[in-house]
Amino acid sequence: MTRRRRRSVLILVCGVVLAAALGLVLSAMRDTIVFFRSPTEVASQKVAPGTRFRLGGLVEAGSLKREADGKVAFSVTDTGSTVAVRYRGLLPDLFREGQGVVTEGVLEPDGTFRADTVLAKHDETYMPREVADALKAQGRWQEGGAAAQGQPGQGQPGPVSRTAVK
Amino acid sequence: MTAIWFIFALMTGLAVLALLWPMSRRPALAAAVPEGEARIATETGFYRDQLREIDRDAARGLLAEPEAEAARAEAARRLLRASREPGRPAGAFGEPALRRRRAASAFALSTVPLVALLIYGLYGSPDLPAQPQAERLAHARAAGNDLAAAVTQIEAHLAKAPEDGRGWTVLAPVYLRLGRVEDAIKAYENSLRILGDDPGRLADYGEALVAAGDGVVSSKARDAFERALKQDSKAVKPQFYLARAAEQDGNRGEARTRYAAMAAAAPPEAPWLPMVRDSLARLDGTAPAAAPATGPAIGEEQRGMIRGMVEGLAQRLAEKGGTPEEWARLVRSFMVLGERPKAEAALAQARTALGGDAGRLAPVEEVARETGLGEAAGAKAAP
Amino acid sequence: MDLNAYRKVALVLIEVGHYALALALALSLTQMVMPVWASRAGDPVLRGVAVPAALATFACIAFAFAALTYAHVTSDFSVQNVVENSHSMKPLIYKISGVWGNHEGSMMLWVLILALFGAVVALARNAVPPTLRANTLGVQAAITAVFLLFILTTSNPFARLNPAPMEGRDLNPLLQDPGLAIHPPLLYLGYVGFSITFAFAIAALIEGRIDAAWARAVRPWTLAAWCFLTVGIAMGSYWAYYELGWGGWWFWDPVENASLMPWLAGTALVHSTVVMEKRDALKVWTVLLAILTFSLSLLGTFLVRSGVLTSVHTFATDPARGTFILGILVLFIGGSLALYAWRAPTLRQGGLFAPISREGALVMNNLFLSAACATVLVGTLYPLALESLTGEKISVGPPFFNLTFLPLAVPLLLVVPFGQTLSWKRGDLAAASQRLFVGFALALAVTLIAIAVTWGGPVGAPLGIGLGAYLILGAALEIVTRAKGKTLSLSLRRAAGLPRSAWGTALAHAGVGVTVIGIAAQAWSVESLATLPRGGELRAGPYVAVLEGVLPRTGPNYTETVAHLTIREGGDPVGVLQPGKRFYASRNMSVSEAGLLTVGASQVYASVGETGADGSVGIRLYYKPLVLLIWLGAVVMALGGGLSLTDRRFRVGAPALKPAARDAAGPVPPHSVPAE
Repeated sequence: MTRRRRRSVLILVCGVVLAAALGLVLSAMRDTIVFFRSPTEVASQKVAPGTRFRLGGLVEAGSLKREADGKVAFSVTDTGSTVAVRYRGLLPDLFREGQGVVTEGVLEPDGTFRADTVLAKHDETYMPREVADALKAQGRWQEGGAAAQGQPGQGQPGPVSRTAVK
Repeated sequence: MTAIWFIFALMTGLAVLALLWPMSRRPALAAAVPEGEARIATETGFYRDQLREIDRDAARGLLAEPEAEAARAEAARRLLRASREPGRPAGAFGEPALRRRRAASAFALSTVPLVALLIYGLYGSPDLPAQPQAERLAHARAAGNDLAAAVTQIEAHLAKAPEDGRGWTVLAPVYLRLGRVEDAIKAYENSLRILGDDPGRLADYGEALVAAGDGVVSSKARDAFERALKQDSKAVKPQFYLARAAEQDGNRGEARTRYAAMAAAAPPEAPWLPMVRDSLARLDGTAPAAAPATGPAIGEEQRGMIRGMVEGLAQRLAEKGGTPEEWARLVRSFMVLGERPKAEAALAQARTALGGDAGRLAPVEEVARETGLGEAAGAKAAP
Repeated sequence: MDLNAYRKVALVLIEVGHYALALALALSLTQMVMPVWASRAGDPVLRGVAVPAALATFACIAFAFAALTYAHVTSDFSVQNVVENSHSMKPLIYKISGVWGNHEGSMMLWVLILALFGAVVALARNAVPPTLRANTLGVQAAITAVFLLFILTTSNPFARLNPAPMEGRDLNPLLQDPGLAIHPPLLYLGYVGFSITFAFAIAALIEGRIDAAWARAVRPWTLAAWCFLTVGIAMGSYWAYYELGWGGWWFWDPVENASLMPWLAGTALVHSTVVMEKRDALKVWTVLLAILTFSLSLLGTFLVRSGVLTSVHTFATDPARGTFILGILVLFIGGSLALYAWRAPTLRQGGLFAPISREGALVMNNLFLSAACATVLVGTLYPLALESLTGEKISVGPPFFNLTFLPLAVPLLLVVPFGQTLSWKRGDLAAASQRLFVGFALALAVTLIAIAVTWGGPVGAPLGIGLGAYLILGAALEIVTRAKGKTLSLSLRRAAGLPRSAWGTALAHAGVGVTVIGIAAQAWSVESLATLPRGGELRAGPYVAVLEGVLPRTGPNYTETVAHLTIREGGDPVGVLQPGKRFYASRNMSVSEAGLLTVGASQVYASVGETGADGSVGIRLYYKPLVLLIWLGAVVMALGGGLSLTDRRFRVGAPALKPAARDAAGPVPPHSVPAE
């Protein structure tokens, strides 16, 4: 083989492998990507039942119910809308009412969200980034508010319902 | 803390010396080597060294003969190429090299201290000593300021035994007095969770919540007071704050009923009675000034604690003097504790200590006027 | 020194450490300028300045790091970094590991390792040609200077508080774990190790000359960095496995990907430098790969540090820092690629080879590794790009990576034994296949047995086991073929006489096989979940867990609820598991502690959920067959790399070893290797 032919063989093989990688990426992109939705988007955009997506928001206070054999039900809210979620499994350590959560799963025809994953991954302020953004969009987020939960004695007190009239 | 600058100077000096060292040393070494080349500092020297190394390794049997042969050939090839390359070693000698080295020395001498001091000057705090925890605790204890040390000790104890409800109960009011309101609330919550509801603790908890809300009785605080009242219907503090909550809600009728009930049931010498009467008067629109938002009744435990702190303050001010604000606080504290004679004494002391300077005395006089102490004491002092 | 003098020194220690950091910046600026200038002028004396400069920089940074550690150990809450990440009640080991368990401290560790490598290069005067060494030190100093500037201006660990608070806020409980105490240093040794390779590449581009000597000078550093990174990633994976309580060993989390990408590129680099050293080929590509590997390391730092990604690893959430790091990325990646585009065409091409040859196989290795690395890069950055362009938030999860990464990894692994067997320049595929035939046959047998034993189970797993067996057998065959003599004793002698690099290669490739088996076996893992009353039973695979009771326990800075589980297999007790849930009052945060029971290379894994009022408790129980092989394989790979490093060929030109060190048999621990 001449130098040039060797070269062209090499380039051809590289091209084939890279094209295959590109094809894999593109086809995987179509099937495996999961979108993030806030409860308000779920309510307004009418996400089709059966579509897989991530639902993020705050766990509504007082909504957590434990049923037999590890089933749990709770509501995810962005203070605008609320979506009921069902999940079977142990909840992550950082799961708490009134705090941020991201769940992944499928919307049932009856409007409840059947989650198969409840994400345990939070940063140290206990607020998933997507949730923080979604809440900001709802105007319900104050910078530093989440941080205050991790740092007692700082920041503004939480949303205590005040009965004050001056 | 000037010593620190000597240390900095020493470090900088050493660093610059380290940089200049190769430049000062090299000429002597160059003279010693006949070819005028420092052996390893040039490409050819490097490959010559490498060849020697290969021979040594081959002789010791560390390298197989064919490998050694190949390595030798390669190193020799490179040596050849390196020695053919023109112009490379020329820079080591002569006037330009000397000038270059002088420039480099000047660069090192000027840049290193300049950059280091500039950066440190921007971000450093040379006057702040290290404060290891152990030393601070020891120091705090030695200085007699043992409250903070005691708090830290209790905290340490609670970190080990967080289920010790009594510990939390002791700590909570101290936090409150230190102004760590959020911590106090947490401590009360812990003590309530572990030891269960108790009218006194619930009332104190509610009071802490009110303090956190700057005097506003939040729904959470109200809940605590209601629970306290359920257990002890005669408890004063919850009644008072619930009345205040009603007042804040604009529910004057209820507030009035509650205040009136308290006033009616109160023993005549109750220290909080004036405050309730003031509130009633305010609701009826007859009172001249708003009452201060402090709580009416203080628990025995707390009273002892506060008294201890106030006495400490009094002693310190008497011995070392203090700011007008501190004197004012002392006078007010004695009045809150219901110790009028001591308050008067403190006021007199303050007037002497602050030397009759009207401007500096102003905050003290202000308190005296507020607490109704001013005229009487002033009248007494006048003749 | 009497006690009083000691206390006086201790009083100023923190500020002296701060000043030492500033001084290190000044020194590295000098180190950046002088040697490059000297090389340009051809002045060996001036060039010599780089050596004391590198040593002094390292000494200063080491001192600053020690001062910061001192502040953490003595709980000096006048230092903001200590307040935010420490607590006086924290155990000593976490006071120390807390130094790098946060943004500022981890950047300190980064530059400390950077300076350490710089100092080692400065001392390696007999292994690297002088001009190359001087320029390399200059580039290295530039990286050090930029990172020191970053630390001092945006992430200063010596920021002070006055008055100091009485107590700190404690370290994130997730990070209070021995695994996380050593994981970042290992990872950083890897990341930063590639900075040396990068500096070598830039130096070669500046010099306009690159040859086999360059490859030989670069290889030990690359190999050492790769070993550290391998162990570091394995460590992190094992930590996530037992600490997050989900039993998963790899989540395709962006932070994990950030460490995987430099590893893939680094693996390619380790192989391409072989080609370059032996055959003087692939030069231009190798230089590019060296630049890309370090760029990916920087990107890894950026992804983790900037707060762009949110995960348990992300400690920093300050956009100002992000901007600075973005600047660093543009400077180093953009700058080096521009330099490459300008200078690479001047590099002399060498060494021809046929497509079927060892070079050809190594090109395949590089091709597949780079393609796999690219897919991971796309999957990691695409969500960020999409969000900044359209605002749409998506997540690219494990399914994406499984679909793209695996199809590229499998052909790569199939090629591995061939690469070892084919000869240089022009190989014979038929002969190689013949030599590997035994391996094929045995691996096929293993696959069939696995299928038969686990009939009805997942299909992919036996194939994966077969692939792993094929890799191990291929590696073993390579040694056997090369050592085979007339008699057994001759063969053994020849095997012992094989170069250490041959053994290292075989070991590393066998390690890949071990990991592959471990991964494949996870398809058979069983998960079960239940809320158990006291005495309740839960089955996972062949094991049954019985809940004996739930007890409280108190640690130094946490309280823990521990479930006591007896594990039985076929009625016989085989062990006890004590998974727990720790509550850290100082952060108001709870953390799971998994209970692990190791049976051979398999594990039974339990974690605890909520405790009910009636004493019942949620238990998650896993049976993880052969799971330990995943990490064991990585350790074997790193050992292989370490063994290669001790090969004498790397040290041609290096000073002779002391006799005692030479006689020490067996693999040398990786950390002692690059010191020459």
